[in-house]
Amino acid sequence: MAPPNRSGRVAVLGSSLQRSKPNPYPSKARSAMVRRAVLAILVVVALAMLTISFRSPTSGVLHDAQSYGASALRPFEVAATRVARPFRDGYNYVTSLTSAKSELKKYKKMAQDYRAEALRNAAAAQQNDDLQALLRYESGPRYPQDYRAVNTAVISFPSGPFAQQLVIDVGTKQGVRLNTPIVSADGLVGRVTNPGRSTSVVTLLTDPDSAVPARDLKTHVSGLIRHGQGGTLILDRVAKNQVVNKGDWIVTRGTVDRRYPDEYPYGIPIGRVISVGTSDIASFLTVQIQPLAQLDSLDSVAALIPTKHRSHP
Amino acid sequence: MTLADGLKAAALLFVAAIVQVSIFSQVDILGGVPQLVLVVLVAVSLLRGSVAGATAGFFAGLVVDTATLGQLGLTSLVLTVSGYCIGRYGETTGRDRAHAPYLSVAVVTFLFAFGVLIVHFMLGERAPAGAVMRGVWPTVVLNLILTGPAYALVRRLLRPRERADYATEVQLLG
Repeated sequence: MAPPNRSGRVAVLGSSLQRSKPNPYPSKARSAMVRRAVLAILVVVALAMLTISFRSPTSGVLHDAQSYGASALRPFEVAATRVARPFRDGYNYVTSLTSAKSELKKYKKMAQDYRAEALRNAAAAQQNDDLQALLRYESGPRYPQDYRAVNTAVISFPSGPFAQQLVIDVGTKQGVRLNTPIVSADGLVGRVTNPGRSTSVVTLLTDPDSAVPARDLKTHVSGLIRHGQGGTLILDRVAKNQVVNKGDWIVTRGTVDRRYPDEYPYGIPIGRVISVGTSDIASFLTVQIQPLAQLDSLDSVAALIPTKHRSHP
Repeated sequence: MTLADGLKAAALLFVAAIVQVSIFSQVDILGGVPQLVLVVLVAVSLLRGSVAGATAGFFAGLVVDTATLGQLGLTSLVLTVSGYCIGRYGETTGRDRAHAPYLSVAVVTFLFAFGVLIVHFMLGERAPAGAVMRGVWPTVVLNLILTGPAYALVRRLLRPRERADYATEVQLLG
Protein backbone atom coordinates (compact mmCIF):
# COMPACT_ATOMS: atom_id res chain seq x y z
CA MET A 1 0.00 0.00 0.00
CA ALA A 2 1.35 3.40 -0.96
CA PRO A 3 2.21 5.80 1.83
CA PRO A 4 -0.28 8.62 2.15
CA ASN A 5 2.36 11.39 1.91
CA ARG A 6 3.92 10.29 -1.40
CA SER A 7 4.68 12.99 -3.95
CA GLY A 8 4.60 13.26 -7.72
CA ARG A 9 8.38 13.08 -7.82
CA VAL A 10 8.29 9.68 -6.09
CA ALA A 11 5.85 8.37 -8.62
CA VAL A 12 7.72 9.65 -11.65
CA LEU A 13 11.37 9.35 -10.75
CA GLY A 14 11.21 6.68 -8.18
CA SER A 15 13.26 8.80 -5.85
CA SER A 16 12.97 8.50 -2.16
CA LEU A 17 13.33 12.28 -1.77
CA GLN A 18 10.21 14.03 -0.74
CA ARG A 19 9.27 17.51 -1.83
CA SER A 20 9.48 19.92 1.04
CA LYS A 21 6.28 21.37 2.24
CA PRO A 22 5.60 24.81 0.86
CA ASN A 23 6.66 27.59 3.16
CA PRO A 24 4.14 30.11 4.30
CA TYR A 25 4.87 32.71 1.59
CA PRO A 26 4.91 36.32 2.78
CA SER A 27 3.98 37.39 -0.74
CA LYS A 28 0.59 35.86 -0.22
CA ALA A 29 -0.21 38.97 1.73
CA ARG A 30 0.55 41.08 -1.29
CA SER A 31 -2.42 40.38 -3.37
CA ALA A 32 -2.58 40.58 -7.12
CA MET A 33 -4.93 43.50 -6.67
CA VAL A 34 -2.28 45.60 -4.94
CA ARG A 35 0.24 44.73 -7.62
CA ARG A 36 -2.13 45.72 -10.39
CA ALA A 37 -3.15 48.85 -8.51
CA VAL A 38 0.48 49.98 -8.35
CA LEU A 39 0.86 49.37 -12.08
CA ALA A 40 -2.38 51.19 -12.84
CA ILE A 41 -1.43 54.21 -10.74
CA LEU A 42 2.00 54.49 -12.35
CA VAL A 43 0.55 54.13 -15.86
CA VAL A 44 -2.12 56.75 -15.16
CA VAL A 45 0.46 59.18 -13.77
CA ALA A 46 2.71 58.59 -16.79
CA LEU A 47 -0.22 59.13 -19.15
CA ALA A 48 -1.21 62.31 -17.34
CA MET A 49 2.32 63.67 -17.60
CA LEU A 50 2.47 62.67 -21.24
CA THR A 51 -0.82 64.41 -21.99
CA ILE A 52 0.19 67.63 -20.27
CA SER A 53 3.66 67.54 -21.82
CA PHE A 54 2.20 66.89 -25.27
CA ARG A 55 -0.29 69.73 -25.02
CA SER A 56 2.24 72.34 -23.86
CA PRO A 57 5.74 71.13 -24.74
CA THR A 58 7.55 74.43 -24.20
CA SER A 59 5.60 76.14 -21.43
CA GLY A 60 3.54 75.48 -18.34
CA VAL A 61 4.13 74.26 -14.82
CA LEU A 62 5.23 70.77 -15.86
CA HIS A 63 7.71 72.18 -18.36
CA ASP A 64 9.10 74.50 -15.69
CA ALA A 65 9.45 71.60 -13.28
CA GLN A 66 11.12 69.53 -15.98
CA SER A 67 13.42 72.44 -16.74
CA TYR A 68 14.46 72.67 -13.09
CA GLY A 69 14.96 68.92 -13.03
CA ALA A 70 17.13 69.11 -16.13
CA SER A 71 19.19 71.84 -14.45
CA ALA A 72 19.69 69.58 -11.44
CA LEU A 73 20.77 66.68 -13.66
CA ARG A 74 23.11 68.81 -15.76
CA PRO A 75 26.23 68.40 -13.54
CA PHE A 76 25.88 64.63 -13.73
CA GLU A 77 25.52 64.71 -17.51
CA VAL A 78 28.50 67.04 -17.87
CA ALA A 79 30.57 64.78 -15.62
CA ALA A 80 29.60 61.68 -17.62
CA THR A 81 30.40 63.43 -20.89
CA ARG A 82 33.81 64.50 -19.56
CA VAL A 83 34.59 60.99 -18.39
CA ALA A 84 33.72 59.61 -21.83
CA ARG A 85 35.51 62.29 -23.82
CA PRO A 86 39.07 60.86 -23.63
CA PHE A 87 37.77 57.54 -24.93
CA ARG A 88 35.89 59.21 -27.75
CA ASP A 89 38.91 61.33 -28.62
CA GLY A 90 41.12 58.24 -28.60
CA TYR A 91 38.72 56.41 -30.89
CA ASN A 92 38.48 59.38 -33.24
CA TYR A 93 42.25 59.74 -33.24
CA VAL A 94 42.80 56.13 -34.22
CA THR A 95 40.14 56.17 -36.92
CA SER A 96 41.40 59.47 -38.37
CA LEU A 97 44.97 58.17 -38.64
CA THR A 98 44.00 55.91 -41.50
CA SER A 99 42.92 58.78 -43.73
CA ALA A 100 45.15 61.54 -42.36
CA LYS A 101 47.74 61.57 -45.14
CA SER A 102 45.36 61.75 -48.06
CA GLU A 103 43.21 64.32 -46.26
CA LEU A 104 46.23 66.52 -45.55
CA LYS A 105 47.01 66.73 -49.25
CA LYS A 106 43.41 67.49 -50.10
CA TYR A 107 43.10 70.19 -47.44
CA LYS A 108 46.36 71.87 -48.49
CA LYS A 109 44.96 72.28 -51.97
CA MET A 110 41.65 73.53 -50.57
CA ALA A 111 43.45 76.03 -48.32
CA GLN A 112 45.17 77.58 -51.33
CA ASP A 113 41.87 77.97 -53.15
CA TYR A 114 40.11 79.38 -50.13
CA ARG A 115 42.86 81.91 -49.44
CA ALA A 116 42.41 83.40 -52.87
CA GLU A 117 38.64 83.30 -52.54
CA ALA A 118 38.76 84.92 -49.10
CA LEU A 119 40.67 87.89 -50.50
CA ARG A 120 38.07 88.37 -53.21
CA ASN A 121 35.26 88.02 -50.68
CA ALA A 122 36.83 90.53 -48.30
CA ALA A 123 36.98 93.11 -51.07
CA ALA A 124 33.39 92.40 -52.07
CA ALA A 125 32.19 92.59 -48.47
CA GLN A 126 33.89 95.96 -48.01
CA GLN A 127 32.26 97.24 -51.16
CA ASN A 128 28.91 95.87 -49.99
CA ASP A 129 29.21 97.69 -46.65
CA ASP A 130 30.04 100.95 -48.41
CA LEU A 131 27.08 100.63 -50.77
CA GLN A 132 24.71 99.79 -47.94
CA ALA A 133 25.89 102.83 -46.03
CA LEU A 134 25.31 105.01 -49.10
CA LEU A 135 21.81 103.63 -49.61
CA ARG A 136 20.97 103.64 -45.88
CA TYR A 137 19.98 100.06 -46.45
CA GLU A 138 17.75 98.75 -43.69
CA SER A 139 18.07 95.12 -42.68
CA GLY A 140 17.59 92.78 -39.77
CA PRO A 141 20.46 91.31 -37.80
CA ARG A 142 23.29 90.18 -40.06
CA TYR A 143 25.41 87.14 -39.49
CA PRO A 144 27.91 87.07 -37.86
CA GLN A 145 28.48 90.70 -36.83
CA ASP A 146 25.01 91.27 -35.31
CA TYR A 147 25.05 88.09 -33.25
CA ARG A 148 26.65 87.15 -29.99
CA ALA A 149 27.84 83.56 -29.93
CA VAL A 150 27.17 81.74 -26.66
CA ASN A 151 29.52 78.79 -26.80
CA THR A 152 28.36 75.70 -25.02
CA ALA A 153 28.90 71.99 -24.62
CA VAL A 154 26.64 69.26 -25.93
CA ILE A 155 25.59 67.27 -22.88
CA SER A 156 23.15 64.74 -24.21
CA PHE A 157 22.31 63.02 -27.46
CA PRO A 158 18.75 61.76 -27.50
CA SER A 159 19.23 59.65 -30.58
CA GLY A 160 16.98 57.19 -32.34
CA PRO A 161 14.73 57.13 -35.34
CA PHE A 162 12.11 59.39 -33.80
CA ALA A 163 14.02 62.65 -33.56
CA GLN A 164 17.42 64.03 -34.45
CA GLN A 165 18.05 66.18 -31.42
CA LEU A 166 20.65 66.99 -28.81
CA VAL A 167 20.72 68.84 -25.51
CA ILE A 168 23.03 71.81 -24.98
CA ASP A 169 24.28 73.32 -21.76
CA VAL A 170 22.66 76.76 -22.08
CA GLY A 171 19.09 77.91 -21.64
CA THR A 172 16.93 80.95 -21.15
CA LYS A 173 19.24 82.20 -18.40
CA GLN A 174 21.92 82.75 -21.04
CA GLY A 175 19.54 84.39 -23.51
CA VAL A 176 18.57 81.36 -25.55
CA ARG A 177 15.01 81.47 -26.89
CA LEU A 178 12.78 79.27 -29.00
CA ASN A 179 14.20 79.00 -32.55
CA THR A 180 17.62 80.38 -31.61
CA PRO A 181 20.01 79.25 -34.39
CA ILE A 182 22.75 76.84 -33.33
CA VAL A 183 26.02 76.64 -35.24
CA SER A 184 29.29 74.79 -34.93
CA ALA A 185 32.68 75.94 -36.12
CA ASP A 186 31.86 74.38 -39.49
CA GLY A 187 28.32 75.50 -40.16
CA LEU A 188 24.66 75.42 -39.23
CA VAL A 189 23.60 72.69 -36.81
CA GLY A 190 19.93 73.40 -36.16
CA ARG A 191 17.69 75.46 -33.93
CA VAL A 192 16.43 75.45 -30.37
CA THR A 193 13.04 73.78 -30.16
CA ASN A 194 12.67 73.45 -26.40
CA PRO A 195 14.47 76.05 -24.31
CA GLY A 196 14.84 75.12 -20.67
CA ARG A 197 16.15 77.19 -17.81
CA SER A 198 19.77 76.12 -18.17
CA THR A 199 19.62 73.42 -20.85
CA SER A 200 17.89 73.40 -24.22
CA VAL A 201 16.86 70.90 -26.85
CA VAL A 202 18.27 71.52 -30.32
CA THR A 203 16.62 69.94 -33.34
CA LEU A 204 19.24 69.10 -35.93
CA LEU A 205 19.10 69.82 -39.65
CA THR A 206 18.81 66.08 -40.22
CA ASP A 207 15.54 65.86 -38.30
CA PRO A 208 12.67 64.87 -40.60
CA ASP A 209 10.62 67.84 -39.36
CA SER A 210 13.38 70.35 -40.04
CA ALA A 211 13.14 72.67 -43.04
CA VAL A 212 15.57 75.53 -43.56
CA PRO A 213 15.22 78.09 -46.36
CA ALA A 214 18.55 78.14 -48.16
CA ARG A 215 20.18 79.42 -51.33
CA ASP A 216 23.04 78.58 -53.60
CA LEU A 217 25.76 81.13 -52.98
CA LYS A 218 26.89 81.13 -56.61
CA THR A 219 23.71 80.80 -58.64
CA HIS A 220 21.33 82.35 -56.05
CA VAL A 221 18.87 79.51 -56.48
CA SER A 222 16.66 79.11 -53.41
CA GLY A 223 15.19 75.98 -51.89
CA LEU A 224 14.43 74.19 -48.66
CA ILE A 225 17.00 72.13 -46.84
CA ARG A 226 15.43 68.85 -45.74
CA HIS A 227 16.83 65.60 -44.44
CA GLY A 228 18.13 63.11 -46.98
CA GLN A 229 19.44 59.57 -47.02
CA GLY A 230 22.43 58.47 -44.94
CA GLY A 231 23.03 61.64 -42.94
CA THR A 232 22.99 63.92 -45.97
CA LEU A 233 20.64 66.77 -46.74
CA ILE A 234 18.73 67.72 -49.85
CA LEU A 235 17.94 71.11 -51.29
CA ASP A 236 14.27 70.62 -51.98
CA ARG A 237 11.81 72.63 -54.09
CA VAL A 238 14.35 73.63 -56.74
CA ALA A 239 12.63 73.88 -60.13
CA LYS A 240 14.09 71.92 -63.03
CA ASN A 241 14.92 75.04 -65.00
CA GLN A 242 17.16 76.37 -62.21
CA VAL A 243 20.89 75.82 -62.23
CA VAL A 244 22.72 74.25 -59.29
CA ASN A 245 26.23 72.91 -59.79
CA LYS A 246 28.15 70.24 -57.99
CA GLY A 247 30.50 71.86 -55.47
CA ASP A 248 28.37 74.98 -54.90
CA TRP A 249 28.09 76.31 -51.37
CA ILE A 250 24.67 76.42 -49.76
CA VAL A 251 23.92 79.02 -47.08
CA THR A 252 20.84 80.11 -45.16
CA ARG A 253 18.58 82.36 -47.18
CA GLY A 254 17.54 84.73 -44.38
CA THR A 255 14.43 86.85 -44.32
CA VAL A 256 12.97 87.68 -47.71
CA ASP A 257 9.60 89.04 -46.64
CA ARG A 258 9.50 91.15 -43.49
CA ARG A 259 6.05 89.84 -42.66
CA TYR A 260 7.50 86.36 -42.34
CA PRO A 261 10.90 86.76 -40.72
CA ASP A 262 13.13 83.73 -41.04
CA GLU A 263 14.58 82.07 -37.95
CA TYR A 264 18.03 82.02 -39.49
CA PRO A 265 19.97 85.07 -40.66
CA TYR A 266 21.37 85.16 -44.17
CA GLY A 267 24.74 83.57 -44.81
CA ILE A 268 25.22 80.76 -42.29
CA PRO A 269 27.06 78.00 -44.18
CA ILE A 270 25.07 74.78 -44.40
CA GLY A 271 26.89 72.51 -46.81
CA ARG A 272 28.17 71.79 -50.25
CA VAL A 273 26.36 70.28 -53.24
CA ILE A 274 27.61 66.75 -53.84
CA SER A 275 25.22 65.72 -56.60
CA VAL A 276 22.50 67.16 -58.80
CA GLY A 277 20.02 64.87 -60.44
CA THR A 278 16.68 64.91 -62.13
CA SER A 279 14.09 62.51 -63.43
CA ASP A 280 11.25 62.73 -65.91
CA ILE A 281 8.52 62.24 -63.35
CA ALA A 282 9.92 64.50 -60.60
CA SER A 283 8.84 68.12 -60.47
CA PHE A 284 12.05 69.34 -58.86
CA LEU A 285 15.76 68.77 -59.07
CA THR A 286 17.33 66.31 -56.65
CA VAL A 287 20.12 68.29 -55.06
CA GLN A 288 22.08 66.39 -52.46
CA ILE A 289 24.02 68.39 -49.87
CA GLN A 290 26.85 67.25 -47.63
CA PRO A 291 26.45 69.19 -44.36
CA LEU A 292 29.52 71.06 -43.19
CA ALA A 293 28.86 70.45 -39.51
CA GLN A 294 29.67 66.97 -38.23
CA LEU A 295 26.18 66.45 -36.88
CA ASP A 296 26.83 63.00 -35.45
CA SER A 297 29.86 63.94 -33.35
CA LEU A 298 29.33 67.38 -31.92
CA ASP A 299 31.11 68.24 -28.69
CA SER A 300 30.44 71.95 -28.58
CA VAL A 301 28.27 74.39 -30.45
CA ALA A 302 27.36 78.08 -30.31
CA ALA A 303 23.94 79.64 -29.85
CA LEU A 304 23.50 82.80 -31.90
CA ILE A 305 21.88 85.52 -29.80
CA PRO A 306 21.02 88.64 -31.84
CA THR A 307 22.54 91.84 -30.49
CA LYS A 308 20.67 94.05 -32.94
CA HIS A 309 16.93 94.05 -33.36
CA ARG A 310 15.16 95.15 -36.48
CA SER A 311 13.84 98.68 -36.30
CA HIS A 312 10.18 98.86 -37.16
CA PRO A 313 9.02 101.74 -39.34
CA MET B 1 11.99 45.12 -1.07
CA THR B 2 13.77 46.90 1.75
CA LEU B 3 14.53 50.60 1.84
CA ALA B 4 18.23 49.91 1.33
CA ASP B 5 17.45 47.81 -1.73
CA GLY B 6 15.22 50.56 -3.06
CA LEU B 7 17.94 53.15 -2.64
CA LYS B 8 20.49 50.91 -4.31
CA ALA B 9 18.16 50.23 -7.22
CA ALA B 10 17.36 53.94 -7.56
CA ALA B 11 21.06 54.84 -7.56
CA LEU B 12 21.80 52.15 -10.14
CA LEU B 13 19.02 53.29 -12.44
CA PHE B 14 19.95 56.94 -11.99
CA VAL B 15 23.55 56.26 -13.02
CA ALA B 16 22.38 54.06 -15.89
CA ALA B 17 20.01 56.78 -17.13
CA ILE B 18 22.69 59.47 -16.98
CA VAL B 19 25.21 57.24 -18.76
CA GLN B 20 22.54 56.39 -21.32
CA VAL B 21 21.67 59.97 -22.25
CA SER B 22 25.23 61.29 -22.03
CA ILE B 23 27.35 58.52 -23.50
CA PHE B 24 25.53 55.52 -24.89
CA SER B 25 22.98 57.47 -26.90
CA GLN B 26 25.71 58.62 -29.29
CA VAL B 27 27.13 55.14 -29.76
CA ASP B 28 25.69 54.02 -33.06
CA ILE B 29 26.79 50.60 -34.28
CA LEU B 30 25.10 49.42 -37.47
CA GLY B 31 22.09 51.54 -36.58
CA GLY B 32 21.77 50.10 -33.08
CA VAL B 33 22.13 52.01 -29.83
CA PRO B 34 22.93 50.14 -26.61
CA GLN B 35 20.29 50.72 -23.95
CA LEU B 36 21.96 50.39 -20.60
CA VAL B 37 18.98 51.71 -18.71
CA LEU B 38 16.79 48.97 -20.18
CA VAL B 39 19.29 46.25 -19.27
CA VAL B 40 19.62 47.49 -15.69
CA LEU B 41 15.85 47.74 -15.41
CA VAL B 42 15.50 44.13 -16.54
CA ALA B 43 18.04 43.05 -13.92
CA VAL B 44 16.26 44.94 -11.14
CA SER B 45 12.87 43.65 -12.23
CA LEU B 46 14.03 40.03 -12.39
CA LEU B 47 15.61 40.23 -8.97
CA ARG B 48 12.93 42.24 -7.21
CA GLY B 49 9.64 41.48 -8.90
CA SER B 50 6.85 43.25 -10.69
CA VAL B 51 6.01 46.08 -8.29
CA ALA B 52 9.66 47.03 -7.93
CA GLY B 53 10.09 46.64 -11.70
CA ALA B 54 7.19 48.93 -12.50
CA THR B 55 8.34 51.54 -9.99
CA ALA B 56 11.92 51.31 -11.22
CA GLY B 57 10.76 51.68 -14.83
CA PHE B 58 8.72 54.75 -13.96
CA PHE B 59 11.65 56.33 -12.11
CA ALA B 60 14.19 55.54 -14.84
CA GLY B 61 11.89 56.90 -17.53
CA LEU B 62 11.35 60.06 -15.54
CA VAL B 63 15.10 60.63 -15.26
CA VAL B 64 15.63 60.01 -18.98
CA ASP B 65 12.76 62.28 -20.03
CA THR B 66 13.87 65.02 -17.65
CA ALA B 67 17.53 64.88 -18.66
CA THR B 68 16.71 65.04 -22.37
CA LEU B 69 13.85 67.56 -21.95
CA GLY B 70 11.78 65.08 -23.88
CA GLN B 71 8.07 64.44 -23.62
CA LEU B 72 7.62 63.81 -19.94
CA GLY B 73 5.93 60.48 -19.29
CA LEU B 74 6.65 58.82 -22.63
CA THR B 75 9.66 56.78 -21.56
CA SER B 76 8.16 56.31 -18.10
CA LEU B 77 5.02 54.79 -19.56
CA VAL B 78 6.83 52.23 -21.69
CA LEU B 79 9.45 51.38 -19.06
CA THR B 80 6.79 50.98 -16.35
CA VAL B 81 4.95 48.36 -18.39
CA SER B 82 8.26 46.71 -19.39
CA GLY B 83 9.46 46.57 -15.78
CA TYR B 84 6.16 45.11 -14.63
CA CYS B 85 6.11 42.39 -17.30
CA ILE B 86 9.71 41.36 -16.69
CA GLY B 87 9.09 41.45 -12.95
CA ARG B 88 6.17 39.07 -13.35
CA TYR B 89 8.29 36.79 -15.47
CA GLY B 90 10.99 36.85 -12.80
CA GLU B 91 8.46 36.12 -10.08
CA THR B 92 6.98 33.18 -11.90
CA THR B 93 8.48 31.09 -14.67
CA GLY B 94 11.74 32.98 -15.06
CA ARG B 95 13.09 32.57 -11.57
CA ASP B 96 16.31 30.62 -11.15
CA ARG B 97 16.72 30.32 -14.92
CA ALA B 98 20.20 31.20 -16.12
CA HIS B 99 18.89 32.36 -19.47
CA ALA B 100 16.19 34.58 -17.96
CA PRO B 101 18.17 37.87 -18.11
CA TYR B 102 19.17 37.31 -21.74
CA LEU B 103 15.72 36.24 -22.83
CA SER B 104 14.16 39.14 -20.95
CA VAL B 105 16.53 41.69 -22.43
CA ALA B 106 15.94 40.43 -25.96
CA VAL B 107 12.17 40.47 -25.55
CA VAL B 108 11.99 43.77 -23.71
CA THR B 109 14.19 45.48 -26.30
CA PHE B 110 11.59 44.63 -28.92
CA LEU B 111 8.73 45.58 -26.62
CA PHE B 112 10.35 48.88 -25.75
CA ALA B 113 11.09 49.77 -29.37
CA PHE B 114 7.57 48.97 -30.52
CA GLY B 115 6.03 50.48 -27.39
CA VAL B 116 7.70 53.82 -28.09
CA LEU B 117 6.71 53.49 -31.75
CA ILE B 118 3.08 52.91 -30.82
CA VAL B 119 3.00 55.82 -28.38
CA HIS B 120 4.46 58.14 -31.04
CA PHE B 121 1.89 56.84 -33.51
CA MET B 122 -0.95 57.38 -31.03
CA LEU B 123 0.23 60.94 -30.44
CA GLY B 124 0.08 61.58 -34.16
CA GLU B 125 3.83 62.05 -34.41
CA ARG B 126 6.22 60.56 -36.91
CA ALA B 127 6.48 56.81 -36.33
CA PRO B 128 9.10 55.36 -38.70
CA ALA B 129 8.40 51.66 -38.33
CA GLY B 130 10.98 50.74 -40.98
CA ALA B 131 13.79 52.57 -39.21
CA VAL B 132 12.77 51.05 -35.89
CA MET B 133 12.78 47.57 -37.43
CA ARG B 134 16.22 48.10 -38.93
CA GLY B 135 17.68 49.44 -35.69
CA VAL B 136 16.13 46.99 -33.25
CA TRP B 137 18.21 43.95 -34.30
CA PRO B 138 21.64 45.46 -33.68
CA THR B 139 20.23 47.04 -30.52
CA VAL B 140 19.22 43.60 -29.26
CA VAL B 141 22.74 42.30 -29.90
CA LEU B 142 24.34 45.27 -28.13
CA ASN B 143 21.97 44.93 -25.19
CA LEU B 144 22.72 41.21 -24.92
CA ILE B 145 26.43 42.04 -24.76
CA LEU B 146 25.71 44.42 -21.88
CA THR B 147 23.44 41.96 -20.09
CA GLY B 148 26.13 39.72 -18.59
CA PRO B 149 28.16 42.37 -16.77
CA ALA B 150 25.15 44.54 -15.92
CA TYR B 151 23.18 41.65 -14.45
CA ALA B 152 26.19 40.46 -12.47
CA LEU B 153 26.66 43.94 -11.02
CA VAL B 154 23.00 44.36 -10.12
CA ARG B 155 22.87 40.85 -8.66
CA ARG B 156 25.87 41.69 -6.53
CA LEU B 157 24.23 44.81 -5.18
CA LEU B 158 20.72 43.41 -4.89
CA ARG B 159 21.01 39.90 -3.59
CA PRO B 160 18.47 37.49 -5.06
CA ARG B 161 15.32 37.17 -3.02
CA GLU B 162 14.51 34.29 -0.79
CA ARG B 163 12.43 31.63 -2.45
CA ALA B 164 9.66 32.43 -0.01
CA ASP B 165 9.29 35.91 -1.53
CA TYR B 166 8.34 34.61 -4.93
CA ALA B 167 4.82 34.42 -6.21
CA THR B 168 2.93 31.32 -5.32
CA GLU B 169 0.68 31.10 -8.34
CA VAL B 170 3.36 29.27 -10.30
CA GLN B 171 5.65 26.73 -8.66
CA LEU B 172 8.56 25.00 -10.26
CA LEU B 173 8.62 21.27 -10.02
CA GLY B 174 11.80 19.32 -9.91
